[in-house]
Amino acid sequence: MNRHDSKSEIEKQIARRNRKNKRFKGVIIGATIVSTLPLLFILFYIFRQGISAINWQFLTHLPKPVGEAGGGVSNALVGSILILLVSCIIAIPVGIVIGIYLSEETKSKLAYYCRLAVDVLQGIPSIVIGIIIYEWIVRPMGGFSAFSGSVALALMMLPSIIKSTEETLKLLPESLKEASLALGVPYYKTILKVIVPTGLGGILTGVILSISRVIGETAPLLFTAFGSPFMTTDIFKPMSSLPLIIFNYATSPYEDWHQLAWGASMLLILMILILNIISKIIQRKWKVQF
Amino acid sequence: MALLKWNQKLTPLDNEIQQLKRQVISMWEMVLSQLQKAEEALKNMDRDLAREVVLTEKRVNAFELKIDRDCEDIIALFAPVAIDLRFVLAVLKINMNLERTGDIAEGIGKFVMDIPQDFDARLFEITRVLEMYQQGNEMIIDVMNAFEEEDTSLARKVFKKDDLLDEINKNAATIVADFIKDNPSKIESALYILSTIRKLERVGDQAKNMAEEIIFYSEAKVLKHKPKNKKSEE
Amino acid sequence: MESAVLKVRNFNAFFGENHILKNINLDIDKNSVWAIMGPSGCGKTTFIRCINRMHELTPNATAEGSMKLNGEEVYEMNPVLLRRKVGMVFQRPNPFPTMSIYDNVIAGYILNGIKLNKQQKDEIVETSLKRAALWMEVRSTLHKKGTFLSGGQQQRLCIARALSMNPEMLLLDEATSALDPVSTAKIEELIHELKAQYTILMVTHNMQQAARVSDKTAFFYLGELIEANNTKTIFTNPKHEKTQDYIRGHFG
Repeated sequence: MNRHDSKSEIEKQIARRNRKNKRFKGVIIGATIVSTLPLLFILFYIFRQGISAINWQFLTHLPKPVGEAGGGVSNALVGSILILLVSCIIAIPVGIVIGIYLSEETKSKLAYYCRLAVDVLQGIPSIVIGIIIYEWIVRPMGGFSAFSGSVALALMMLPSIIKSTEETLKLLPESLKEASLALGVPYYKTILKVIVPTGLGGILTGVILSISRVIGETAPLLFTAFGSPFMTTDIFKPMSSLPLIIFNYATSPYEDWHQLAWGASMLLILMILILNIISKIIQRKWKVQF
Repeated sequence: MALLKWNQKLTPLDNEIQQLKRQVISMWEMVLSQLQKAEEALKNMDRDLAREVVLTEKRVNAFELKIDRDCEDIIALFAPVAIDLRFVLAVLKINMNLERTGDIAEGIGKFVMDIPQDFDARLFEITRVLEMYQQGNEMIIDVMNAFEEEDTSLARKVFKKDDLLDEINKNAATIVADFIKDNPSKIESALYILSTIRKLERVGDQAKNMAEEIIFYSEAKVLKHKPKNKKSEE
Repeated sequence: MESAVLKVRNFNAFFGENHILKNINLDIDKNSVWAIMGPSGCGKTTFIRCINRMHELTPNATAEGSMKLNGEEVYEMNPVLLRRKVGMVFQRPNPFPTMSIYDNVIAGYILNGIKLNKQQKDEIVETSLKRAALWMEVRSTLHKKGTFLSGGQQQRLCIARALSMNPEMLLLDEATSALDPVSTAKIEELIHELKAQYTILMVTHNMQQAARVSDKTAFFYLGELIEANNTKTIFTNPKHEKTQDYIRGHFG
């Protein structure tokens, strides 16, 4: 008789625990949905606002002067891409090399100070970077230029490229290096031909993510690339860019310019989305097993 | 179960075990030849042949030491298990049995050398000592073949064959006693024949022990200390 | 000694102040398999890493004394060239993940920029994989990545990679510790076959393995070489009490 009672006691306990489990799961899922919802709303809103602005003219024409209807963001699109390109050329090699150094040297004083510098750089507000580059490059050069904008953006890309390179390479097993060294491969070749290629997937992902971060930076470009109503590919001249256009148009009193701003916003979001998808694809394809 | 299967690749342990097996068979052949030479020497009162047997005993002993060492090495180096382990343990015992059998052959050889007078042919006949010797040798050969072929049914045949040795041994005392009464001058050779018969009975024992070891390692069945009739049935 | 491939005299190794190897004297003869064993921290791994000078790659690691490989002083040779003469296989199989099986085998040549024509490459790949008893299993998938093989196969690939450089000596640092029993048995069989052409030193924690596979054994304890002798002798009648304690499992 005793056993019978305790059996149902246990069954009740188990049922209670199952209910608790379900409730807990419910709470977690609920919280996730609640926090994802705003993001979805934002994307949806931008999409809805911006989609009407996007058409062939939008993408291929220059902005019209005030009062005239129509116009596009072609120069801003080209500008964004060009400025980014140059900042990549500056930031990627430097960032990867520093990342390699930091992943190899963990104890030296130089590494310590370097890491400190990278962390600080990461924290500097983007507008401050803009002002500094204005002082260091725009003034001596005598004018605004896309180049100075690229330098500013490059400075912002550096910390994340360096960090992701360092982290990726640190995750590689020591045995990989040892295997290469034991074959009589000199140290520098081991790094260049074995370690870096193996970590390439992670490094590239870091690079792409850093690009998608700076693609929408406005503040540093304000005092450097400055913006321009013309289409130009000369990086030593001022250049337009999507974030700049959004800033200018959104703060203007003209309704149709607001529309263009929404369109440009949507373009930016699309570009960021594409970059993230590319990085996910790279992560999967270049997934290296050990 | 067998030590080797036809399609299996030989591991170093397998090679060591096969080598051990070959060594044991070589020693077996040597001991068998000792027995047969001693038999010849007995039949023909060939004292030279008898001396040969006694001198060769040294080689049998050396063989025993070598096989012991080899077994020790295999156990230390390979930590054998299952049939390999049972085989090595069986070999250790068979080794001892063979050495004792070799001792018996040497002993008979010594008799032939020591005896002052020739044996009486009648003595051979009435005691059936040569028949016993023949049967004993056959048992040794059977067990040797059983060991080589890993044939446990051949090993089992040996238990029945021992019956003859038992019979001759049992009657020996009375027959010899009667002979001594009738031929008191031949008392020494009669006593030597009796001792020879006792020795040959132990040859049978050794053969049986070896058969038990073969069945043990092959089938993991222990037949030691079982009553005789049960042994041939199992 | 007759044909000693490696002569070690008064050899000492340090990690900073820590005296890891104390006055090691040892002769390794040609075409033998030596097991290097001892409890954790006895210096056995440090010892073989000194032979191909991987030891000095750790910061603060130093060594003194004499180590002669076929008459040449190891510590006077160019370390990079030395490591092509002494091959090493590690505990965890580590084929290069970005390279195919084919490229992995000749990685030593590729990474060092040594030029070979296609025929030479094919020959070296086939010979090395055959010697590592892996050829039959991968001959039709040579251009797949090495990391898709099983653990035991990966380890044999690493062995093939080491063999492709035609080393004078092969160092195995607990090369089967991370493998399942079947793969381990295959590699032990392989070592038996390789003995005819190479001199092999294997560090192992597994005493049974040392007993089964090696011809000679060196027992290290707390940085000292306690006993070095034929494996048979060590396992049936060791001369030093510490050796006997160790193999009976009484410490370490």
